[in-house]
Amino acid sequence: MKGYTGKILFVDLSTQTTEVIAIDEAVYQQYLSGIGLATYILTKTIPQGADPLGADNVLGLVSGILTGTGSFMTGRWLAVCKSPLTGGWGDANCGGTFAPAIKQCGFDGIFFKGMSEKPVYLYVDNKRAEIRDASAYWGLDACEAEEKLIQDCRVTKKPQVALIGTAGEKVSLIAGITNDFGRIAARSGVGAVMGSKKLKAVVLAGSKPIKGADFEGMSQASKKFADKVRKQNLPKFAGNLLPAMGTLASKTKDTAPADGMLVAGMLKTFGTAMNNTMALTNGDAPIKNWKGSSKDFGKKQFKGFNPLVINKKEFKKYHCYSCAVGCGGICDINKESQGRFKHTHKPEYETVNAFGALLLNTDQDAVLYLNELLNRAGMDSISAGGAVAFALECYEKGIITTADTDGLELNWGNTSAIIKLVEKMIARDGFGDLLADGVKVAAAKIGRNASDYAIHCGGQEPGMHDARLDPLLGVHFSADPTPGKHTVGAGLYYQYMHLWKYCSWAPALTKHPKAEEFLPSDEEALKSIANSCYKMILDGAGGCYYGMLIGNEHWNVVELLNFATGWELSYDAYMEIGKRVHTMRQMFNVREGINPKENIMCKRMAGEPPLNAGPLKDKTVQIDEMVSLHWKHFGWDQNTGIPSNETLKSLNIQELYEGGQK
Amino acid sequence: MKKTPKCTYTVCMACGICVQACPVSCLDLTDNNRDKYKKAFPQLDNEENCIGCKICEKQCPVGAIIVA
Repeated sequence: MKGYTGKILFVDLSTQTTEVIAIDEAVYQQYLSGIGLATYILTKTIPQGADPLGADNVLGLVSGILTGTGSFMTGRWLAVCKSPLTGGWGDANCGGTFAPAIKQCGFDGIFFKGMSEKPVYLYVDNKRAEIRDASAYWGLDACEAEEKLIQDCRVTKKPQVALIGTAGEKVSLIAGITNDFGRIAARSGVGAVMGSKKLKAVVLAGSKPIKGADFEGMSQASKKFADKVRKQNLPKFAGNLLPAMGTLASKTKDTAPADGMLVAGMLKTFGTAMNNTMALTNGDAPIKNWKGSSKDFGKKQFKGFNPLVINKKEFKKYHCYSCAVGCGGICDINKESQGRFKHTHKPEYETVNAFGALLLNTDQDAVLYLNELLNRAGMDSISAGGAVAFALECYEKGIITTADTDGLELNWGNTSAIIKLVEKMIARDGFGDLLADGVKVAAAKIGRNASDYAIHCGGQEPGMHDARLDPLLGVHFSADPTPGKHTVGAGLYYQYMHLWKYCSWAPALTKHPKAEEFLPSDEEALKSIANSCYKMILDGAGGCYYGMLIGNEHWNVVELLNFATGWELSYDAYMEIGKRVHTMRQMFNVREGINPKENIMCKRMAGEPPLNAGPLKDKTVQIDEMVSLHWKHFGWDQNTGIPSNETLKSLNIQELYEGGQK
Repeated sequence: MKKTPKCTYTVCMACGICVQACPVSCLDLTDNNRDKYKKAFPQLDNEENCIGCKICEKQCPVGAIIVA
């Protein structure tokens, strides 16, 4: 076996036992590792109708085929489970240094079923897998607990730890799983599932080698990639030009494919903060709970989020495992947190916008503080920001008053009230408890038309990118079996990926996203399908989303997979695997009673009613028609989103569903 | 003299593969004074712990580390 270990570890927390299970090579050839292996295992092991927070749910932490094989941009791991937030398929993706640690223990994935009566953690090294008492760590935030676990568990090799913070312990449905002192697999409520099982942490200290098939081929590809990345250096003053670049981008009609290596340069210099200001001028960033425009949050308001300002606080770059780019950083926040925290991972654009423009908050120091607070609690900053925005709008509309909010005056941009509300959400205290399970649950509890202001896709708060700028993004928000994720696909991503040069059926780039892509068409549907299939390859490989954006011409995931496995499969063959895995995730949702139509993004996100100012003025997205065409071209029923028996058969997965819908 | 890892900083991508491969965790990404972006390069944090196994050298994708 090359690139994968051929084994998984299955842990039953109810019986406190562990079992090593061998996985046949054919499984990897059919589904890849990572998300593909996880989809196969969860389909077979989670009983239909399982309570997401019950013993029957299975939580998997999986690594990808390319991780540890000498390839760059392949240090991602995934947490997978039935999501308590959406009721369907759940996955969350994370970087840091945990991904190789899974394989260094000799496994492609570690899966948990059952529930422990008392807090426990799992310890694994080269020789043993032990379930240990976690009472000394329960109640600690994720950073405190990680530090203590590393100290207590270290024998020779420093262990890598994935764990929940207090939000996961309190089973907040927007809790994630963290590693590396603040990186977080944030989405789908995976931390709530871990918390429901009373599993505080997974501590991995293995040092087994990870082998690929063609070391020389991989080495040459990596050296070539590194040479290109080294040359990508932007002057720092470019940070001041980003808003103008955003304005220009919103007006250009250029249809030329973009060179993704430019993205590498931007990420090296600014990280995802490159989007902090640019997204506000081009319309990518949602403002004021998705109803505002640049009139509400313009140059004067966003100046504190200039990446140059944030870079001044950065004292060290941070690279995830095997990353040649290094978009992360560590920032000094001793002053900003009034001495409470020394430093924080540089806030991602998602966090900055979720606690900036989405709430009309102009206080950059508050965002840095909230970033660390949420990372330590292990709470998803996208969902948390969405929940606060929902509360602010309910307050504005008079649906809730200070009598409901424990006295907090939830006006737009009221920074001190926003901070207090987040602290309450983490502690599940008073009104914060109501918001700690996301906007859909909160709206149902509040009633009184509150659901009109709950911005979500199938229960999950969407990422901080606007489909009124990029309609294909809306298709992925709506049609991905994990709805609301911004990291699956978009017209812009497609422009960078250059898939049409490698995949025989992926359409070439001929249209401009600001105009023609707003019209649903078969061609647009094929693009979104290509994006979806590619993302499954990426998540099976353990690849980074920025590898995807840097594009196939520079970082060809299929070529790397063949170096790692020795399979010599074509690009189309891998895309077929992607289609299979994606369809299985959809089948998981169908089996669990999810109506795919209910995952379609809400009307406000589609521009109904349209905005009356800013770059998205009068933009609407025909999302129902676009999703319908996406389903149709996937071989799913275009009215219901249910994969047809013919499609299941053609993908050779019909047996998993007893000939149809189980 | 004991052979230990030496890093060529102009070649190193600071990707951390060597750090995670080290079976005794004697390397860490801590050297951040050599680069305008404050990139943190691998540094031997405890020379005594290094067992000279050369795994870091073999695993480096760009040949930036040699044990000498």
